[in-house]
Amino acid sequence: MKGEKLRNLSFFLSPMIIMVGLFYLIPLIFTIYISFTKMRNWNIERYLTEVVGLYNYQRLFHMFQHDPLMRTVLLTTVVFVGITLIINVFGGLLLALGTFFVNESSASTIRLLWLLPRMSPIAVYSLVWYYFFHGSDIGTLNSILMKLGVLSQPIPWGQIVPWGAWSVIIFVNGLVGVSFGMIVFTSALNQIPKELVIAARVDGASAWQISRRILIPMMKWHFLYVLTWQFLSLLTTYPHLFLLVQWDLVSRDYGTTLALYVYNTAFGRGEQDQGLAAAAAVLLSIIGILGGFVTLKVLQFEKMIHEPRGDIE
Amino acid sequence: MKDVETRPKKGEWIIVLTILFASLPLILGFALLIISSFSRDMVTDLSLDSFRPTIENWINVFQGRLAITGGIRQNILKITLNTLVVALGVSGIVTLISTLAGYSLSRMKFRGRKLMMLLLLMLHAFPGVALIVGVYLLYRLTFPQEPSFVRLYSFFYVILARAALEIPMSVWLMKGFFDTIPWEFEWSGIIDGASRIRVWRQIMLPLIKPGILAVALFGFLAGWQDLIYVRTFLIDQTLATFIEANIEAEYSHMPLIAAAGTLYLLPTIMFFLTAQQLLLQGYSGGIKG
Repeated sequence: MKGEKLRNLSFFLSPMIIMVGLFYLIPLIFTIYISFTKMRNWNIERYLTEVVGLYNYQRLFHMFQHDPLMRTVLLTTVVFVGITLIINVFGGLLLALGTFFVNESSASTIRLLWLLPRMSPIAVYSLVWYYFFHGSDIGTLNSILMKLGVLSQPIPWGQIVPWGAWSVIIFVNGLVGVSFGMIVFTSALNQIPKELVIAARVDGASAWQISRRILIPMMKWHFLYVLTWQFLSLLTTYPHLFLLVQWDLVSRDYGTTLALYVYNTAFGRGEQDQGLAAAAAVLLSIIGILGGFVTLKVLQFEKMIHEPRGDIE
Repeated sequence: MKDVETRPKKGEWIIVLTILFASLPLILGFALLIISSFSRDMVTDLSLDSFRPTIENWINVFQGRLAITGGIRQNILKITLNTLVVALGVSGIVTLISTLAGYSLSRMKFRGRKLMMLLLLMLHAFPGVALIVGVYLLYRLTFPQEPSFVRLYSFFYVILARAALEIPMSVWLMKGFFDTIPWEFEWSGIIDGASRIRVWRQIMLPLIKPGILAVALFGFLAGWQDLIYVRTFLIDQTLATFIEANIEAEYSHMPLIAAAGTLYLLPTIMFFLTAQQLLLQGYSGGIKG
């Protein structure tokens, strides 16, 4: 019986374990290792075995303190993550509450519409905003403002530093992230007992009062969950930013977060410095692991996991 | 939406209008992209003069003629096919692995199960993309010596690596689907003396079809839309890297890129129209756990 169970388990679980080992565990070890080497331009033959100790970390912290470009990257990361996070969480909350109070068919249309940014290919979604914020008169925003007489000539929005560039990247990523909060909050709202809402309605409460007094207090945990989850995802994802910067829609200096900095330093045009990139990636990973750990602890996920009753033994 | 009959009807349209107003840039942006692909000039400037209807852009896209003048040609059909191969590959691997692992996490008791599930949840939150430097080193170290295998290997590797990013979430999603199946189905099979593997294949898989479909769909979209992994590992071009490379090129004709973008958007729109319920259900299922 024992041997059979082991055979079954390895049949079901080994593909997943191999994938996690190959693409999470080994890369994590490799990234840490590269951060201790002098790896440049992916010259593996020459630099893979050239260990330099903490040199890359010293360089990184020196840059944090003295390199104006790096300080811009850090500042952009803080501003970008902070403001986008607020937009994501509250935008998602507003959408979920809004769709709670309207009829089912309008609600699912709205929800699908707001899933569009998350579902459409990154390149197409960025292309849409490329045209929207374009610095010439084909840019939609420019032409609207020019027609209204606000502007006399087109403005390259993303090149105005810092707030023009920041506004564009916050706007573009803000719309993607809203759907996550919307979905979590919607499924939370569906689990709230209907009787509470009925009772409040009978007492004559308005939608706003119901939201504030009943619905929002009951979604505290979901709120925390969305907050931490979205924080991690904003800190570490960069595909949209990559394209906006690559296409010169936004200023390179004020459109680059730390995650994008890692990618561009390791794979970008020109001189590449994987040692430095890996050191920055290790820092990000530490924040990520800590953040994930805090999420699990705060939300007590282990209580959600029930014991299976499948075995008859 | 679960609000009750006591709800006043008159306030409803105000909420709907407000949300639609907030969604205006979103609707406008996508609509202008699609309309521009059928016009001689970009209509993103919102002026009626720019809209001169034509299907020339689409013909040029399928012929791979990037510029109106000059001889730059690219085989867009092959690029689309590359994108499709990556998407199907990711979808297949994610579905297979999560159907296997989801079953045992939902139905089997073993030591370390809880830890494994928490670990998966953490990997889901973990910055998978932050490890790309390490993923690339693994790629380079396993690179085949034989030059004729290189392109094939790059497909193989990008599919595996991209699928790995989706696995934590898909396993949780799949486990959630298995959880909804009553235990009696399972017990009847085990009492008849079937092994767990047979129970999985012959009893559970047919019952779990909607879940398999949802996971496959998400895997497909993940592979289809990917940009970073494809441009880092894949030697051939996909639609994502095609658009990335051509937007700022001097020679490229803007409405033509809009047509390529619309072509790239087609599967998303198709799934939108056909699988709405599955998508909404899948997204919330994956999050609830």
